[in-house]
Amino acid sequence: MSVLHATWLEKRNSNPLSLNPYLFIWADEWNIAKPKEVRDAPLPHPFHLSIEELKNWLTTKNLLPSQCFPQTALLTLPSKSIKQKKFSIDSWSGLPLLADEPIPTQYEWWPWVIEGLALKPNDAITWLAHLPLTNQNNDFGDELLWWSHLERWILSLIAKGLWLPKVEINQCEESVGQAQWIPLISHEKERRRLEDFASRLPLVTSCGILLEEKSQDLKNKHLASHRPQENRVFVSNLLQELIDAHLRDSFTPNDKELDPLLKAWQKALGSSDGKLTLNNEELIRLSQASRNWKERISGQFQNARACLELLVPQHGKDKWRLIFSLQAEADPSLKISASTIWNTNTDFIQLGNIRVEKPGEVLLEGLGRALGIFQALEKGLENATPDSMDLEATEAFIFIRSIAKQLREIGIGVILPNSLSGGLASRLGITMQAELIQSSKNIGLGQKLSWEWKFMIGGIKLTFKELEALGRKKSPLVNYKGIWIELRPKDMENAENFCKNNPNLSLDDALRLTGSDGNTLMKLPVHHFEAGPKLQNVLERYHKQKAPEPLPAPSNFTGQLRPYQERGLGWLNFLNRFNQGACLADDMGLGKTIQVLAFIQHLKQENELNKNILLIAPTSVLTNWKREGEKFTPQLSILEHYGKDRATTISDLKKRLLKIDILITSYNLLTRDSELLEGIDWQGIIIDEAQAIKNPNAKQSKTVHRLNKKQSKKYFRIALTGTPIENKINEIWSIMHFLNPKVLGEIEFFKQRFQLPIERYGDISSQKELNVLIKPFILRRLKTDKSIISDLPEKVELNEWVNLSSEQKSLYNKTLDKALADISSSPLGQRNGKVLGLLTRLKQICNHPALLFKEANVEETFPDRSGKVQRLIELLEEILEVNDRVLIFTQFAEWGLLLQTYLQKKWQSQIPFLHGGIRKIDRQTMIDHFQNDPRGPNIFLLSLKAGGVGLNLTRASHVIHIDRWWNPAVENQATDRAYRIGQNNAVMVHKFITKGSLEEKINQMLIKKSRLAEDIIGSGEEWLGNLEIKALRELVTLDKDE
Amino acid sequence: MTHSSSSQSALSTSLGEDGLGQQSWWVAQWMELINSYRYKKRLERAWNYARQGNVISIQFEGRRVHARVQGTEKEPYKVKLWLDVLNDEDWQYVIEAMAKKAKWSAQLLAGVMPKDIENAFAASGKRLFPFKLEEVKSECTCPDKANPCKHVSAIYFLMGDRFKEDPFILFQLRGRSRQQILLDLTKQRQKLKHKQVEKISHNLYTPLPIKPDLWWSYNHNLDSDLVVITPGSGKETGIHLAGELPMAEDPQFPKSNTTFLSNLISHVETEAHKAMLRAMKANNE
Repeated sequence: MSVLHATWLEKRNSNPLSLNPYLFIWADEWNIAKPKEVRDAPLPHPFHLSIEELKNWLTTKNLLPSQCFPQTALLTLPSKSIKQKKFSIDSWSGLPLLADEPIPTQYEWWPWVIEGLALKPNDAITWLAHLPLTNQNNDFGDELLWWSHLERWILSLIAKGLWLPKVEINQCEESVGQAQWIPLISHEKERRRLEDFASRLPLVTSCGILLEEKSQDLKNKHLASHRPQENRVFVSNLLQELIDAHLRDSFTPNDKELDPLLKAWQKALGSSDGKLTLNNEELIRLSQASRNWKERISGQFQNARACLELLVPQHGKDKWRLIFSLQAEADPSLKISASTIWNTNTDFIQLGNIRVEKPGEVLLEGLGRALGIFQALEKGLENATPDSMDLEATEAFIFIRSIAKQLREIGIGVILPNSLSGGLASRLGITMQAELIQSSKNIGLGQKLSWEWKFMIGGIKLTFKELEALGRKKSPLVNYKGIWIELRPKDMENAENFCKNNPNLSLDDALRLTGSDGNTLMKLPVHHFEAGPKLQNVLERYHKQKAPEPLPAPSNFTGQLRPYQERGLGWLNFLNRFNQGACLADDMGLGKTIQVLAFIQHLKQENELNKNILLIAPTSVLTNWKREGEKFTPQLSILEHYGKDRATTISDLKKRLLKIDILITSYNLLTRDSELLEGIDWQGIIIDEAQAIKNPNAKQSKTVHRLNKKQSKKYFRIALTGTPIENKINEIWSIMHFLNPKVLGEIEFFKQRFQLPIERYGDISSQKELNVLIKPFILRRLKTDKSIISDLPEKVELNEWVNLSSEQKSLYNKTLDKALADISSSPLGQRNGKVLGLLTRLKQICNHPALLFKEANVEETFPDRSGKVQRLIELLEEILEVNDRVLIFTQFAEWGLLLQTYLQKKWQSQIPFLHGGIRKIDRQTMIDHFQNDPRGPNIFLLSLKAGGVGLNLTRASHVIHIDRWWNPAVENQATDRAYRIGQNNAVMVHKFITKGSLEEKINQMLIKKSRLAEDIIGSGEEWLGNLEIKALRELVTLDKDE
Repeated sequence: MTHSSSSQSALSTSLGEDGLGQQSWWVAQWMELINSYRYKKRLERAWNYARQGNVISIQFEGRRVHARVQGTEKEPYKVKLWLDVLNDEDWQYVIEAMAKKAKWSAQLLAGVMPKDIENAFAASGKRLFPFKLEEVKSECTCPDKANPCKHVSAIYFLMGDRFKEDPFILFQLRGRSRQQILLDLTKQRQKLKHKQVEKISHNLYTPLPIKPDLWWSYNHNLDSDLVVITPGSGKETGIHLAGELPMAEDPQFPKSNTTFLSNLISHVETEAHKAMLRAMKANNE
């Protein structure tokens, strides 16, 4: 897969007017390449796309810039050293590293020649606006996200008008100046942002230089690596170039009433090269004036800034203190006091890694500008080397209320005492203690708590009386028990109001208030919440600060729950007690089904299962539920509401429900029989593969939501899914609406409040808030979690039960009848072969009818005709969702080819199929891509014979046996391609079994006689051919629907 | 001076109120100096002369001002003005005095002419600003015997305008540039050690070792305040904050400065609007 990159090629220093800087876009694609030997000139990057390939690729992505031209550049990239057999002292050999490629132990930096497309700055701005603001595209290098964020910053600066025109004198040419547009980065926030962009800069952005005359340049450059300059210098230059290009391009000079000097300046500001030709004296005047103009609002870019720190009066004193210091821009926590600066008195000073030139001057310059805002500072600057000063209380108050903000705007650091820093903590709020009144088993959300509260400000507690007394002092800053606090009239009002109302506290409130910081109760911030032991226990488990308490499997559960599954059971039970819906979102293979079955069995054992449970799942897994239920909870009776024999009237349905515990049905049938199913009062509704209702407008989602609404209040809801729904904003609403409708509100509200800000802009604060809201209701464990790995065997075998489609069933029966008649009348010598032939045909039908008809094309109806294909798609969706990799084994090459065609079409990507017809060299390519390419394919199809032995494919953590070779040894050998040394994850082995067919029966046989099987069967399938006709008939006849 | 575009936008109005009406103290002081001159009539003539654009050029070359003024003759008259220069010893006194009070250095570094700067000069017994206009020495190639002649007087006025562009020209006329002074002040401060404490060790700058994965990875969310892009209030744009353009006016183009600014302000407004539309479009894509 190709990956797009963007690198900034800076203006050449030699002549600032001759060359533009460019945005250089290029792409690379992993490939197998021999190490390159570099001697006296840089070589072409072996993985980059040619101009034509790049253009075509950009065109398919709809990203080809309208204005661009081919360009060659030299990029310095980390490269892995690869030793050659013939070691040579005057050369190096290796390959450039690609994005996401694991970092090898031996690497060096080398320049590589790359062809790509160059965009002028203003065209770059236009092009960058098309990039997404969140990282969801696998085709893009990470740095494109950096670029799109930078673009956003530029738009914001322009929208706020934070720029000025400027004149610079060209050092090389007499009487020539440069008219520029420069961004103003004075505000503390914008400075902070510059530091962030600099510290997060992916260096591929800045590692390139432009090659003019390719051959000549290369000779001159030799092999010097281009060391990127300091990041913040790079970013501020870049910002300046882009802002300049943007404002210049759109500026139309208007000469009217201007004197010649300003006319010339204005003209140059609108011209493409910005060249300003004046006589020397005029030029100096203009540049001097423009410098003085700018100096009024913004100092020079420095590594550090002056900082004023306010200290409260010492005990018994009434003077406040203001301390001067220097603060690193990149890290405001790095500070050096003015007195140290004067003491050391050197030309530079080191703040951690940051070197500050002329620290004394930087400090004084800042103080000089601060003086323009804060007159009181003057008396602190009377001596030669000032380091601090005293302030009167009134001055301190003004400083806190208004000066601090203004100083930050012009890039002066300000530190205020904690209790007065203006944050929420310094506001008047409350502190509270609460506890559950009783330990009743049925605690509801509305449960009232016993509680006590006090007011709190600046970290100290006080009663309303004390607060009133302070208020009477009529001073905005008051000292209470040694802490200085600011009393605002609005806060006093809120406090009074709170006292008057004397509100109750419910468990619901407690859950909300403890969910995140910064919550308020009746407009007062809650600074401190202390829960009694009983309540604390509930809160911790609710907010998942503690792992859920395990609940052992109920006695009639005929399996073993692993420790994490017991915790899952405990959690389901916990939320059920609070009448809250639960979403169990464990990774595929961790056993969601048995946790839910154990939960229902638990209800039954506790005599809490009074009504029926409705379980809705995709058709393809209905059998799975039934089989697992039979296996683990034989006491629960499960009925499928499926097929022609299902109940059609409410009375019929009610009658059937009397005898059972769980009714399972598919989403399709739910929609069809919704009226019927809505007529029942369920004890709970479980939706499996809950992503099925992710789209709130889909028919099945609407049906589920309607069904949900019709239910009485006290019933449980469980959603199961293997995909990380908490990360999918567009899907979470519908599922949460099913589980706990109140949590996220109505869809329109949700869209405005969460979906738009998060999806379009990756708004982190909205995302955090959403996470807090939904966190209590989602339990997701990954098979890679440390606590899970220890519970999990390294290899987990899972049976995937699937149904046959009706076409498959009728074909199966027809084929069987015909063949059995033929076999029974055949001479003994031919029987063996005929039996095996029949088995093969039946297996093909179980895969897909197309195999029997030798169809070569994949039609639209392809997935509908085979239960296996439907289940395969569901599995693959989950696997791809979390970027896992999977091997799919089949014994039929034609089947593999059909699947390859279909899956490639469905996922629009290359999926390799390794089979006997593939040349050796191409096999190795496929394996290398899958195993080593950073963006290699996630799905790998293999034929059991060609791919079953010898290969190392440990990058896969899933293995699917889509059809079965009735010999465990052969299957295991194939599984071991992934499950072997080098594998760091548990391997999930999925074995597809079509329900009621020979596949199920042979599977049962194998399980029963597994030891025997290994001894007798050997490696082939011949043993099947020797079966007696009666045994054979039993084995292959399709079961009637249960 | 009237403000030409006061009705165009709130922005330019406030500019007129806050910016254009103010005059920096050093310009005011200079004008006061001129106005204290005895011969009022002659001054008035010179003022008109200057407004009519007879001054062809004015140049600050080191310690002297050179100007060319078009008089009645074909060739323009050459005018020279200068002040008494402080000698090195005097300057040393001034620097020592200045270094004693950090405020002066701070303001000079921040590009502000300290109001009480004269106190520093008093240490040398000299002045920065001339006390009387007579201290401004001049020569003119015109036949007029009177000194100052009207050509010289015209330059007085224009010098005031130039001080507006760069107040530190005054230092230059007294023999030192601002850069020189700042450099001297730094040296002077280094002599004055604050308190003696043991020296703090300075670790030398060592560049961070570059890790190869820094080449490729970026995994951050968009800053919350860049999510929705809003315009600032009109008063916080760069043009507004920087205020009046510190350019001497060309008498022939009295509206030049304000027009220049209002052209820029309309650029601010159209570009801000376009940027917001663009940001919104990206939102809706």
